[in-house]
Amino acid sequence: MKNMKNLLPNISAKLTVSLFLIGGMIFGLSWIMKSSTDKNVEESNKANTAVNVETESVKTDGEDKSKEAYVMPVYDNWETFTTKDGLPSDKAFCVRVDGDRVWVGTKAGLALYENNTWRTFTEEDGLVHHGVLGIDISPVTGDVWVATLGGLSKYSAGKFDNYTQFNSGMLNDVIYQVTCVGKDVWMATGGGAGKLDTYTGEWEIFNEQNAPMHEPWTYGVTAGDGKVYIAAWGGGVIEYNSSTKSYRDYVDPDGQMELDVFPDDGVVHDITSGVSFADHILWVATYFGLSRYDGLHWNGYFDHDSGLISNFINFVHANGPAAWMCTDKGMSSFDGKRWITYTKNENSAGGEVIITEGDKVIKEKVATSISHNFVLGVDFQDDVIWVATSKGVSRGVARKTNSSTKPQL
Amino acid sequence: MKKRKKIFLIASILLLIGFVGFHGRKIATDHVQYMTAGEPHTLNCFSCHAYIVRNGPIAKMVKEQYLSPMNMAVSSDGSILYVTAQEGNKLLAVNTTNHQIEYSINVGERPHTVVLSKNGKTAYVSNQWSYNIFIIDLDKRQVTDTLITGTGPAGMAISENNDYLYVANTYSSDISIFDLNSKQEIRRLSAGKDPCGVTISPDGNSVFVSNRLSNKVPFRSTPKSEITIFGTKYQRVTHRDIFPSATIQENTAITPSGDLAIVPQVRPKNLIPTAQVEQGWMMNHGIGIIDLKNDHKKIQLLTDEPNAFYADPYDIVISPDGKKAFISHSGADVITVLDIDAIRNIITTSTDEQLEMYSNHLGISSQFVIARIHTGANPKGLVLSLDGKILYVAERLDDKIAIIDTKTLKKLESIDLGGPGMTVSRFGQQLFHSSGHTFQGQYSCLTCHPDSHQDGLTWDMGPDSGRDLANTQTLLEIDQTSPFKWNGKNVSVFMQDGMRFSKFLTRTEVFNQKELDALVSYILTELDLPPNPYRDPSGKLTNAQQRGKIIYERTETNCGRVIPVMDRCVTCHPAPLYTDRRQDDVGTRKAADDDEVFDTPSLNNTFDSPPYLHDGSAFSLEEIWTKFNDHDEHGYANDMTKDQLNDLVEYLKSLGSSELYTDTEHKTTEASSH
Repeated sequence: MKNMKNLLPNISAKLTVSLFLIGGMIFGLSWIMKSSTDKNVEESNKANTAVNVETESVKTDGEDKSKEAYVMPVYDNWETFTTKDGLPSDKAFCVRVDGDRVWVGTKAGLALYENNTWRTFTEEDGLVHHGVLGIDISPVTGDVWVATLGGLSKYSAGKFDNYTQFNSGMLNDVIYQVTCVGKDVWMATGGGAGKLDTYTGEWEIFNEQNAPMHEPWTYGVTAGDGKVYIAAWGGGVIEYNSSTKSYRDYVDPDGQMELDVFPDDGVVHDITSGVSFADHILWVATYFGLSRYDGLHWNGYFDHDSGLISNFINFVHANGPAAWMCTDKGMSSFDGKRWITYTKNENSAGGEVIITEGDKVIKEKVATSISHNFVLGVDFQDDVIWVATSKGVSRGVARKTNSSTKPQL
Repeated sequence: MKKRKKIFLIASILLLIGFVGFHGRKIATDHVQYMTAGEPHTLNCFSCHAYIVRNGPIAKMVKEQYLSPMNMAVSSDGSILYVTAQEGNKLLAVNTTNHQIEYSINVGERPHTVVLSKNGKTAYVSNQWSYNIFIIDLDKRQVTDTLITGTGPAGMAISENNDYLYVANTYSSDISIFDLNSKQEIRRLSAGKDPCGVTISPDGNSVFVSNRLSNKVPFRSTPKSEITIFGTKYQRVTHRDIFPSATIQENTAITPSGDLAIVPQVRPKNLIPTAQVEQGWMMNHGIGIIDLKNDHKKIQLLTDEPNAFYADPYDIVISPDGKKAFISHSGADVITVLDIDAIRNIITTSTDEQLEMYSNHLGISSQFVIARIHTGANPKGLVLSLDGKILYVAERLDDKIAIIDTKTLKKLESIDLGGPGMTVSRFGQQLFHSSGHTFQGQYSCLTCHPDSHQDGLTWDMGPDSGRDLANTQTLLEIDQTSPFKWNGKNVSVFMQDGMRFSKFLTRTEVFNQKELDALVSYILTELDLPPNPYRDPSGKLTNAQQRGKIIYERTETNCGRVIPVMDRCVTCHPAPLYTDRRQDDVGTRKAADDDEVFDTPSLNNTFDSPPYLHDGSAFSLEEIWTKFNDHDEHGYANDMTKDQLNDLVEYLKSLGSSELYTDTEHKTTEASSH
């Protein structure tokens, strides 16, 4: 017993030291492992987000195919429609699918493609203005909302109801995009963003007076996960929380707007031309590149370091986990891993499909292509794609492919 | 001496009485003429000091609470007739055998329609002024749930499978669709203007909603009213069938074979001067027909006759065999019976040009009108017994239900619902809704003032055609807002509805004193504004409304310049009536106007009275300042930003009944306006 007492201090000291050493080793190992994991995550966010994409649930025909990867199709067998086919103008600003119908906004009116026939609506039919820049369909009522250079029209069963800055609370008649969010209709205008509550008829407007916008010019609006995102020219992206009615903005942190000094630190540029939200991802189109935001991380993409065909993006449309960028030099799509770009030859009906994955680039000459490389809008109708360009509207069909294989060239 | 003194005293008293009486009478006569400013009015203190008192103990003494049955539904076994008592705020259950009220259930404000579930166990009642629907368990005889709708729920229909309830919201001009399993509103479709009646097609695939007022049309162009049709499968609007030159489409019926949809309608002639009334030059009444098997071709036929008009058609039902249609003409106290096969014959044997001519032909009714059945006062809702042998008619202003034999086309009797006896204002209400005082019964007061409000039309009523166009004004809560007419020349309602009324409008003999007193009593004491949906019941303003109030009351421009007192909103439109009851030049005079100044209108519930300005040329509140007011004559507004104008409009929309405002500083009375 006496010996035990003498031993105790020694044992206690040794034990303490040992515990410290063990604890230190554990801590050190943990730190090392965390750093490694972070790096892996960072790398995967940059180039391997397909990992997340591939494990997300993809429902097809009502079945949960959560183990099946999303495959971004290649579209082919292009058919082009122009004024010769009944379009009111070859300059098509936007396209919107509505079940079996396809709406196209052109310089000379609103066009409807139904039963293989084009029909045009202009001021004579009650449309507020023939310059149609944006279209959306209310998922609740089926009403067609039309953004024009001279106001907003709502079309329903043959009747147009028109809203202008003179007869309503709408902020500005030059409307670039309209988006239906439940009972609300949001619009991006030359004087700010606006929201119409279709139940109460109340208008709310958001401009540099009451929102963090540098300038009131807004080009795009989208919504998802309880928030509304506004593409503000020179102001980046404004996020509006519908529940709390609070704002925050996302601007280029570099401040040096012509350079992306630090990659993936925020939206690539403040000159935003469009926004689109799907699958919890916000895509931001700018005239200087593309940004992707998953709520935590930003990624930037440029024509010099990715498959994006041009930094000058007119319009972006998210379709599931992928986004489609309409640029001045063609159209690119990106699913987080793979880029597919469509360009048209200047002097023939054919064009080129360019598939980029990492450092690998595959180019294929194709017999048909989009009608023009200045692309302004895109939408999807099952396995058909509709593309609005400055020289007509093109329709392509997805190439058939096994879901478990990559698209075949 | 004593005797002489007595004689002297008596003579003095008699002289005094005579003197006072004579002068007193003169004073009283002058007072009455001053206050009424109409034709010489008999001395009757009660006319003003009792009958037109809106609130207080005197009002309680002279008023009664009536039931005013509006619409009905028959129980699945035919034994009970459910009746909405619009002014009694009740649902009545009337035994169809012994004609007694078995029970009544208190419901919300101004119940409009009752529909029953297919199993007959549940009733749904639309409370038009509570902006909700009560769900009533008929076994327990109690309200079990409430559905919140848009504003002004009126007509309703239940889907075949009992899963959905379709509701027309009159004031918000939309259609609510409720999932009755979850009791949630799942969709709200836009309708025309003021949707009212809802009918499901016999095959259950489509829902027809009739709209009471014209859609927005360019200034001084033909009114166009809509029948909104949506499919029950996808619940999307499929058709908006437009009838030109038509308004007040309250209800629709569809033939059992599904080939025709028929909607009674009023055919106003507001674009031409009201110089001639004879031969229907001011108002006609008829039916709009949609040929559902022929690409929704539209046909219009008049139910009037060359020298007799049947005003204010309200409801329509079609016999189960599809042969006959019954229409209630609430202004004429008549049920018109139509031969549907005869109507089909006209449609199929006439060219389009002939049909176009028939649409305004007063003689065409002789080809399809079988009978006219006289009823009690103001027949409204109709419902057939299950076997189709009996037609029940809500005789709204008699508090009775008429029973009509559909074979003999004779009225058998009326079920007395036990309403109180006639009061002065009730008599006035009957006059207001009756076309009996207009030339050949062409229209009633209600025809231009549905729900005692306004028809949204601009009329050419001046002595010179094409000049002094007048936008129909509301009659709701106009007490204490004299003078009247857009030029402010009628200083009282006695004057408004007196000789001038008969000269320019009714073209018949003037109302006698008793009738005039009754009509004025009704107008000044019984017409309440519906609750304002934009105003929180607590009185708390939203942020936008608060900002708007500041702008409304501002005294300086955005640049800091003082706004002249007469150019401030609050000067001409002070609470609680939001009118200073003066006439002013606000720069809105047009070339066709002889008057230079216009009476300041009250702004209470102004959200619900487009179009605006004296001639209805401003379609929305915004247009008052964006389209007009170039020189800030109608209030300083040109320095405002769009945000500010929007906020101002939000505040204006929140202005409701004057009883909501406690600002007594600006209270005025009828007397003090002179």
